[in-house]
Amino acid sequence: MGINYRQLVRGDRIHGSLLHDPDVFAEEMEQIFVRGWAFVGHESEIKNNGDWVKRQLGNESVIMVRGDDGDINVLSNRCAHRGTALCWEHSGNNSFFQCTYHNWRFGLDGNLRAVPFPDGYSKPKEELGLNRAGQVANYRGFVFANLDGQAGFIDEHLGAAGYELIDRLCEMSPSGNLDLGKGWIGHRVQSNWKLWPESDSDGYHVGFVHASMSASTDTHYDDVAIGGDAVKSSRAVDYGKGHLELDWRPSYKQELSWLGVTRERVQDYYSALSQRVGNELADQMLWDGPPHAFLFPNLFLGETVIAIVEPVAPGEMIHRHTAVQFEGADDAFNERLLRQTEAAFGPASFITTDDAITAERVQAGISGIDTSWASANRGWIDLSRGMHRELVDENGVRSSNSSDETTNRGFWYRYLEMMSEEVTH
Amino acid sequence: MTSPELRTEIEEFLYREARYADEFLLEEWEALLTDEFHYWVPAGRLQGEPSKQLAYLNDNRTRVATRIRQLQTGKRLSQLPNSPMRRVISNIEIESANDGEFLVKANFVIYELAAQSSGELRVWPGQAQYRLERVEGNLRMSAKWIELVTADAGQRNLTFLI
Repeated sequence: MGINYRQLVRGDRIHGSLLHDPDVFAEEMEQIFVRGWAFVGHESEIKNNGDWVKRQLGNESVIMVRGDDGDINVLSNRCAHRGTALCWEHSGNNSFFQCTYHNWRFGLDGNLRAVPFPDGYSKPKEELGLNRAGQVANYRGFVFANLDGQAGFIDEHLGAAGYELIDRLCEMSPSGNLDLGKGWIGHRVQSNWKLWPESDSDGYHVGFVHASMSASTDTHYDDVAIGGDAVKSSRAVDYGKGHLELDWRPSYKQELSWLGVTRERVQDYYSALSQRVGNELADQMLWDGPPHAFLFPNLFLGETVIAIVEPVAPGEMIHRHTAVQFEGADDAFNERLLRQTEAAFGPASFITTDDAITAERVQAGISGIDTSWASANRGWIDLSRGMHRELVDENGVRSSNSSDETTNRGFWYRYLEMMSEEVTH
Repeated sequence: MTSPELRTEIEEFLYREARYADEFLLEEWEALLTDEFHYWVPAGRLQGEPSKQLAYLNDNRTRVATRIRQLQTGKRLSQLPNSPMRRVISNIEIESANDGEFLVKANFVIYELAAQSSGELRVWPGQAQYRLERVEGNLRMSAKWIELVTADAGQRNLTFLI
């Protein structure tokens, strides 16, 4: 590998070339999306055996499918014979996958079942199955995969914080379960994929990029994210491993601020929730709301929205989102979450559209920066905000004012670790 | 059978609505709407119950007013500057005309320049379904539903009036 990432990722800044260099992008797809854990989808999307959805993991098109045994498999969407893509639609239900080129047929576990005129083959079928993710893990329905199978245990990747963030969201559901079955919406943006973990976990930009939103409607961001540090006590948190949170909880001034309603409007939801967790916890959850957190490298827990960061090319990506639906909540409540999602996320929304344009403007700004400029001290992106006032607790968790770049630095710490790991195979 | 006079009146309304949208004549565009206006751009076909789906855009009258207000703040980054854009509408079919309510379908193609960032020319083909009503003698729009050809494929920023 010719790129020295330690020269390009410093504690207080990163080099702009990392956001558009094609060689960097190619190495990221290998080091992060093949050799690391990444989020694939949610089990509620594939409720029945044979249900599948198509996803993109770095350069690899994959099928997440529920097998005949009910287990979840993550398979390469590519015939083991000539490489033909097996699935074209976003989702479906099949009892097997059949290639349209020579009718090779694969089971839901990826094993080769049958080929036409088998006398022509002396190889055993076992050698001709689909490529599949080496490791698949499922935590409360969130399915993660590691393509090469060498990334270590999921516990190491998610850490206590990853589990806690997912728990915090799921626990708000009356049943404790989420339903992410409303389909994913693609927001196609002309920017590098890494600008989205940055934006999704950046508390500094809200009052500027989203000024038009706060000028035209009341949102909870007015209280938690807009204005100087003196007026809000929200925190930017780096849990390690690239898992980040903008913790709005200390700034909320009333319950349900994150949903923009009063309790009377969601009484059925509250009753259903408190039946399982008790009034005291349910009251607390109504105040705290769901987390605003990013799990490295591609999962955004965006309060009532879940988003996937999907790289396409150095200057092209898709921010793909779906609405959180709480299993066991009444229809009116879940429809409210759908409308909230439409307002906040996606190509025609009030919020992430302005993040998209900002990411595209960054991309335009940095597109001429060459890796070689680093040694000439040109082309740096500064991420030093708040370094002098960051707190580190006994678990190594870093936190600071929510306008500080603690979260952004946290992403790049993890990035550097993954990009500078030696390739052993 | 629709009378030629009615067809002309409806066509003129659609062309005017299209021009107001292209030219960001926001107040003029909003004045074409009834109080019950529903604006919908699904992430798939125009089918099923809109309230049960996750869409690109699903505005009731209140939300479309917020959408227009946001564009009028002068701080809407994704429309600073406004996209230079023109749309062509054609294949206008008047599906039904009952009691002063008209269901109309038309094909459209929008050419939009992403002047706010990359300068990319963006092409938006699709079908629009309008519900028009006669209010105090004038046509008004009580629904505009858009089926994008690219509905399944994800979209660039869609921050203009489609």
